[in-house]
Amino acid sequence: MGPLIPNGLIPMDWNYVIAIFIGMAFGYILEASGFSSSRKLAGVFYGYDFVVLKVFFTSAVVAAIGLYYMDYLNWVDISQLYVHPTYLWAAIIGGMIMGVGFLAGGFCPGTSFCGAAIGKIDAMVFTGGIMLGIFVFAEAFTVLEPLFDSSNYGNITLMDTLNMSPYWIIFIFTIIAIVSFGISDKIRNKVKKVFY
Amino acid sequence: MSKTYKSKKILVSRQYQILALILVVLAGGLILLPKYKKNEGISPELFVKHTLSTERYISTDLLADRLVNQDPTVLLIDTRSEEEYTAYALPNAINIPLAKFFDEDLNAYINQNIYDVILYSNDNFYSNEAWMIGNRLGYKNLYVLKGGLNEWFNTIISPKLPKETDSQKDFELYSFRKAAGMYFGVGVSKIETKKKPTKKVITVKKKKKRVPEGGC
Repeated sequence: MGPLIPNGLIPMDWNYVIAIFIGMAFGYILEASGFSSSRKLAGVFYGYDFVVLKVFFTSAVVAAIGLYYMDYLNWVDISQLYVHPTYLWAAIIGGMIMGVGFLAGGFCPGTSFCGAAIGKIDAMVFTGGIMLGIFVFAEAFTVLEPLFDSSNYGNITLMDTLNMSPYWIIFIFTIIAIVSFGISDKIRNKVKKVFY
Repeated sequence: MSKTYKSKKILVSRQYQILALILVVLAGGLILLPKYKKNEGISPELFVKHTLSTERYISTDLLADRLVNQDPTVLLIDTRSEEEYTAYALPNAINIPLAKFFDEDLNAYINQNIYDVILYSNDNFYSNEAWMIGNRLGYKNLYVLKGGLNEWFNTIISPKLPKETDSQKDFELYSFRKAAGMYFGVGVSKIETKKKPTKKVITVKKKKKRVPEGGC
């Protein structure tokens, strides 16, 4: 049956309309859960708030479990889903830059727009920084292009690399998530509380 | 005060413990579920719907029209055996017998979405089988020549002359088929054209005028 749009159950024209509504809902939930606060986001690096880790890990685990149940029931054809290609070194270096930006600015790109929307000046400065970064990247693209295109491993997933059943990977991933939640709670209890 | 706080804290963490347990049970459930082999291609319901529909058929007249007009999107696939193919085949047809349907090189002709693939055999039999396999696997733009080569011979190569009482349309179709038959260059024995009644020429000898002889 699914995915709904590629299989024609929902016309292609609705693609962007649905995307806008999902985006609005995503932004609303981010803001409602306090993700527009840079202190909350930076907490994961200092050890006084692990909500970012918990939310993103939980969402990945829930989505993976849900998708594979839907695949089992033939509601979604998992082989039709898009797998983003892995550019190993580009991802590692890009991830490090993003991490430094995250730590220094206290926002990730999505949450900075949430913060800007509710009028936070630091978030607005951060979005300005994003634009500047995009501009610099675009101008320096010819220099960065070899890195950008190199070490392409194609649309690989963990089950290809480890040659394991996806169900076992999800199970192990779930256990890792829960253990990491426990450990993060322990760390948080030891670190001096920060009120914000 | 501190006691109630502590009990509350345990209660909250118990809630999280239950949620974590649910996640583990659900993830473990995926492993324990009995596995089954998934069918490739479209769902059985959709397949039955497609099979019952006659949309896949293309008439010999339409095919002849497209071939005469050199439609570049037509790709003819002959599903008969190689001997039959060498004996006679439609122009520019590619021979893919059913047994070779999944040969990598040949399959690429059928599993694509650029051309209108028109399958034919002597009748509808092999071509329909090929269509069913292709349709089940979700191949696009597959058609079947209705009646196959037999129908092709009966309509295009040697069309029947309509009765005198038939409509003008039938006569137009007949002349189209006749012309198409000529285009494909076989089977046209002779072109029937009504002979114009020849006018009989009766030569009348003119009486020679007598030259007046003499005179008075």
